[in-house]
Amino acid sequence: MGKPKIATVWLEGCSGCHMSFLDLDEALVDVLSKVELCDTPITDFKDFNFPDVDVGIIEGSIANEEELKIACKLREHCKVLVAWGDCAVFGGINTLRNTVPKEAILRRGFIETESTVGGVMPVDPELPLLLDKAVPVNYHVNVDVYVPGCPPSPEAIAYSLTEILAGRIPVLPSEMMHYD
Amino acid sequence: METNVEKVKITIDGKEVLVDPGISILEAARQNGIHIPTLCHHPALSSWGGCRICVVEVDGSPKLAASCVTPVRVGMVVVTSNERIIESRRTILEFLFAERNHNCMICAQSGDCELQKLAYELHMDHLSVPASFHEFPTDVTSDYLAIDHNRCILCGRCVRACQEISGAHVLNFNNRGPHNLIGLDLSETRDASTCLNCGVCMQVCPTGAIYDRYRTHYAVKGHDTAWQTTESLCPQCGLMCPAIFSVHDNTILKIDGKLEADDSRPDRGQLCSKGRFEVLKTMGRRLTRPMVRNGDGTMAEESWEKALDLTAGKLRAAARVKGGAAIAGLASSLHSNESLLSFRDLMGRGLGADNIDTLDGAFFRTLLRVQQDMNIPLQEASWKMIPKADHILMVGADPYQTQPVISSLIRKTIFENRTKVSVIGQQADLFPFAAHHLQLEEGGEPTLIKAMLDEVTGAETDDAKRAQAAGLLRKLGLDETGSAVFHEIVRTLTEAQNPLFIAGEGLIAAGDGSGFNSLVRLARQKGLLPGSTLRLIILKPFGNSSGAWKLGLASEAEPGSKGQATACVLFLAGEQISDPDLLERLTGLDFLAVISPYIPESLAGRADVLIPCPLWIEEDGTCTSLDGTETGYTKKVIEPPSGVRDSWQILSALAEQTGFRPDFETWNDLSNAAQKEMGG
Repeated sequence: MGKPKIATVWLEGCSGCHMSFLDLDEALVDVLSKVELCDTPITDFKDFNFPDVDVGIIEGSIANEEELKIACKLREHCKVLVAWGDCAVFGGINTLRNTVPKEAILRRGFIETESTVGGVMPVDPELPLLLDKAVPVNYHVNVDVYVPGCPPSPEAIAYSLTEILAGRIPVLPSEMMHYD
Repeated sequence: METNVEKVKITIDGKEVLVDPGISILEAARQNGIHIPTLCHHPALSSWGGCRICVVEVDGSPKLAASCVTPVRVGMVVVTSNERIIESRRTILEFLFAERNHNCMICAQSGDCELQKLAYELHMDHLSVPASFHEFPTDVTSDYLAIDHNRCILCGRCVRACQEISGAHVLNFNNRGPHNLIGLDLSETRDASTCLNCGVCMQVCPTGAIYDRYRTHYAVKGHDTAWQTTESLCPQCGLMCPAIFSVHDNTILKIDGKLEADDSRPDRGQLCSKGRFEVLKTMGRRLTRPMVRNGDGTMAEESWEKALDLTAGKLRAAARVKGGAAIAGLASSLHSNESLLSFRDLMGRGLGADNIDTLDGAFFRTLLRVQQDMNIPLQEASWKMIPKADHILMVGADPYQTQPVISSLIRKTIFENRTKVSVIGQQADLFPFAAHHLQLEEGGEPTLIKAMLDEVTGAETDDAKRAQAAGLLRKLGLDETGSAVFHEIVRTLTEAQNPLFIAGEGLIAAGDGSGFNSLVRLARQKGLLPGSTLRLIILKPFGNSSGAWKLGLASEAEPGSKGQATACVLFLAGEQISDPDLLERLTGLDFLAVISPYIPESLAGRADVLIPCPLWIEEDGTCTSLDGTETGYTKKVIEPPSGVRDSWQILSALAEQTGFRPDFETWNDLSNAAQKEMGG
């Protein structure tokens, strides 16, 4: 049996959780020696291939159709799904827009901004459509492990990974858990 | 404490304990060191049982019971924590988080949020229910308090505190179900409501839903675990309310009332808007270095030695030429007894000044005159008597302006004890609750009280006196309604067994003091309280007026009657001078030295030397209660601006420059001397 495979995705988030993962510093060498890191934004993959992995990790909330698709596919292709950070766990700062209709947000962003002259609503079919609300990952798919924090501390990330690799579903101890 | 009450034996988490009957499971657990998390419960408030976070299992019943409202019962077996209980608590918490927006930027920084602490404690690492993402209104209309309904969990602590502690009955629940909001009066905004800005709602709020508008730096001042707390008291009005100061980085972050205060204080540990907020407000630019006026009229910074030397020299020279009459000392009665004592020694014994007075000297002289006229010492009643009274007659008193907690206490006693309150004169916040309110033309109080005295002393028997009273009433131009209210007040007063009189500036400052004289006579008519105490509370204008007067700082003679002063030392405690008469008197001086925490803006062009002193929160001191019987200790809470010396050290240094050696060398000696003068 080979090393356990891990894939991570970066949805509606700021990449802070991935930064926190890199913040493991020398412990990162230790973690990477035990796992096989498949597709991840850290390796600068442009297209996500959805390999079958043991652990799938999501940073960010789900706010557009593409993110929803990625989350669903990752769920299908992994055994344990981990939500990293406040956006993935609670929705985070992206949920600020949830009290305003989607159309009003887009109009404000692309047409009514003070610095915009002759703005148009983007219509390129390549662009993913916004969902009505930015929501935490567990609105759409089952999540097995929650690591809240903005970002989660490297210790919390390391702890949760170590536990998963040891075959346990981790529950973060209170002192490792923090919001914001 | 009754000792013969049979204790109840119950089992909590397998531990057999004996507790008093009638207490709640929560109290029993806490008395025995067993922790049960709570949210809507607050030790200073009545139990409500609203949030169900404190649920426990009783006798294995399938239905969990809220421990804060379930009384103990003989043989009860309580389990405070198992998987089912924790799951139930966490689910409730998840619903609370899902209902409104609790993605708060401040709480993670400051840690000062009970909801967040509970979420950590109960290990809420995600929401299993969808969040509503509904937006609720915010109300930032008041200068003091703001409400953000998005952070509100409807625990009702603020509503209970507003009723039970401050007695204001402003906050309540508006609307029903998902539209339920904390409301002020009938859905008023904060500024349009009858809110008194005491801030007790903010103190008990477990989230950040009610916050104040003074602490903009709150979140960036570090985590609450790094704050220091200092327990002191507020000396600003003479009630000496205990206050807990949270300090970090030499900044006061918040001031809390000591809500769990013991029964010796009927106010239940509340603070008013002055005690909670005014301290956090800057009253102008701080004075941090001594300043001296140059030949061209501009003020320039000067060294301490030179400034003190110059001041002492000018004062000595004035005294040498024209004697003590040439020197005046004027102090604020907000200063501590220690500062005032050193000031008195410097001015009196050091410089032989004949004119020593306080800013509230005129108030003192009215009281003194009545005392001399009647040949009795005026021993006033304590404000703590208020809940015991059956009739309260307020004349020219507006405690909300001067002693706000007294106003709150009166309101509470109206609601709780059905005490009849009669308000005579200008009064803003109490008259809607008062049994009688008599509004008079300005300055009408003395005549009315004289009429009341005649009416009461002549009741039933003395027709001449009653005719005299009727004449006075006619003079006041009271209409039929006013006259009926007057007689109703007299009747209530006559029937009262334990009445209390409250006099304020409106009566005492009015006219020649005859109104106050009549009120004292009226109060004596109703008999004295134990300890030869009058049934009278006098609302004094400054926090330590009683202390200043006891130290003899207030002059018995009218200012200027002992000769015109040419040099003056003005010892301010944070106020700006705005009284035009006083400004006029300070204008014609040859020399004016001002010792003040702030730059005295209104004295620009008049002051020759400015010497900085600390605010009361920046030095130790004692103050004396409103009735003059108690002494309280105000601790140094923060450091003064760098370079500013303690008041007593400034005054001692000045004294030494004038060639006078004060009796005290250390602060302790001074404090003992002040205590002795206070009779303690």
